[in-house]
Amino acid sequence: MGSVVSVRPLTVGLALFWLWLSGRLANDFLLVGSVGVGRGEPFVPVAPFAAAADSAAALAASLGPVGEPVLWLAGGFEFAAEAIGYLPLLAGGIWTTVLLTTVSVCLGFALALPLSLLRVYGGRTARWAALSYTELIRGTPLLAQLFVLYFATSLTQVLRGVPGVGVGFVPAQAFWVAVISFSLNSAAYQSEYLRAAFDSVDSGQLTAARAVGLSKLEGIRYVVVPQGLRLALPSWTNELVYLVKYSSLASFITVQELFGRTSTLASETYQYTDLFVLAAVLYLALVVTASALMDRVESRTATVGVGHTRQ
Amino acid sequence: MTRPLLDIDDLYKSYGSEDVLEGVDLEMDRGDVTVLIGPSGSGKSTLLRCVNQLTDIDSGTVALDGTDVTRPEADVNELRKQVGMVFQDFNLFAHLTALGNVTLGPRKVLGMDADEARERGREHLEQVGLLDQADSYPAELSGGQQQRVGIARALAMDPELLLFDEPTSALDPELVGEVVDVMRDLADRGITMLVVSHEMGFARSAASDIVFLDDGEIVEHGPPEQLFETPEADRTREFLGRLQTEHEGTP
Repeated sequence: MGSVVSVRPLTVGLALFWLWLSGRLANDFLLVGSVGVGRGEPFVPVAPFAAAADSAAALAASLGPVGEPVLWLAGGFEFAAEAIGYLPLLAGGIWTTVLLTTVSVCLGFALALPLSLLRVYGGRTARWAALSYTELIRGTPLLAQLFVLYFATSLTQVLRGVPGVGVGFVPAQAFWVAVISFSLNSAAYQSEYLRAAFDSVDSGQLTAARAVGLSKLEGIRYVVVPQGLRLALPSWTNELVYLVKYSSLASFITVQELFGRTSTLASETYQYTDLFVLAAVLYLALVVTASALMDRVESRTATVGVGHTRQ
Repeated sequence: MTRPLLDIDDLYKSYGSEDVLEGVDLEMDRGDVTVLIGPSGSGKSTLLRCVNQLTDIDSGTVALDGTDVTRPEADVNELRKQVGMVFQDFNLFAHLTALGNVTLGPRKVLGMDADEARERGREHLEQVGLLDQADSYPAELSGGQQQRVGIARALAMDPELLLFDEPTSALDPELVGEVVDVMRDLADRGITMLVVSHEMGFARSAASDIVFLDDGEIVEHGPPEQLFETPEADRTREFLGRLQTEHEGTP
């Protein structure tokens, strides 16, 4: 308490990543040529890294078998040079992944909350309906759900007709089909986490709320939900982390998110290994950011006696 | 003639095939402190829960200040504003501080603004001697302190009648005293209380009426000295005898 703020390498790395991403997007979409580098042009020149890779390789060759570690170093420089060259081309994909995940998880939550409350407090029909929905969604593959929405319904046509879709910064219809599909899917999983949390809030809490004069709905809102959400946070973080990665399925319906963008680039350049290793590192950065944020939220909302409190 | 504050008439309640209350009649005037005693399973807690409609009744009436609160069209939330309840397991809202527990009802049910609710909440915490714990969460309080916050929470609604459901049963013996002191203080201030408790010290010193309930029926009732010293029914004598042995049996 009250000590100097400790700066951890992870925090620095994540800060650099987000600084780069926002700088990149600002440069490419807002400044466009007026100030800064050209669109898609790296901030850091590739040449020195390529040169370093070449000299390290030459040195390794002259050292013979002992030069193996130097050869690895050369490989590292080569990867860095490739990465610096490709990163600007992946920035838009990262942004799409971020957007896809956050919008879907929020919409999913908005749907999951009533679903889970129906599961716990609803009448027989409501409980049954909510359970059926959850089981149907959790029991079928996300990719199949995505395909059904995209190919088998007229959702795409409908969305295409919505004014503003695909104009300027607003993504085109395929993105929104993915958002709808992921939201519907995530809602089922989230509602399951929330249901478990609401179930584990002691029933005496609602009784006490009712005895004070709150209606059942008010008791749920002011007493059960605040406690249940705190209990659900750790498992809810899982759902967010899963969704970051599952959002890559959107590439199958033409959305150029991180995975889609990487695939396209790889098929153009044949640099499959470097590009997908780079994509994996970028996904890791997103996932670690998500967990770090949720960790923050968890410690901010921690209340003694509600769930597990870290000492 | 003033009408009784609480008038229970011919109350029946069963759970499935098990009859819990079989024709209970009970009247309380303002300022009365009635203590319900009886063996476990005799229906004491159920009777209490029928009064504030946490449990639905099968037949009979419960009238509060002349208004039948068991009519289907009666507003239970309106009733519960006037009847506070203190629970055996405290049931404090776990995510709220002591002050938060005391102010939730006034804010959300009575529509009091936050500042006024806090100010009055502090007064109620002071009444139970816990003003210094206003910002503590339930998990940070001892059982006795939690129960005193529970009492303050019920008081904060300014109820006509306070129900106590075995308020000291879940407490360690050394913590019972602080809760009983608070309850005795409320009794002295003329608050109408219906108490399920086997805390004989409280029953003898603060109760205006003792009601002995057995097998869903009121067997006997009267002022404490009469009921404890010269009980009329055999069942009462037998129960009081057992209670006494139990108490002497505990170290």
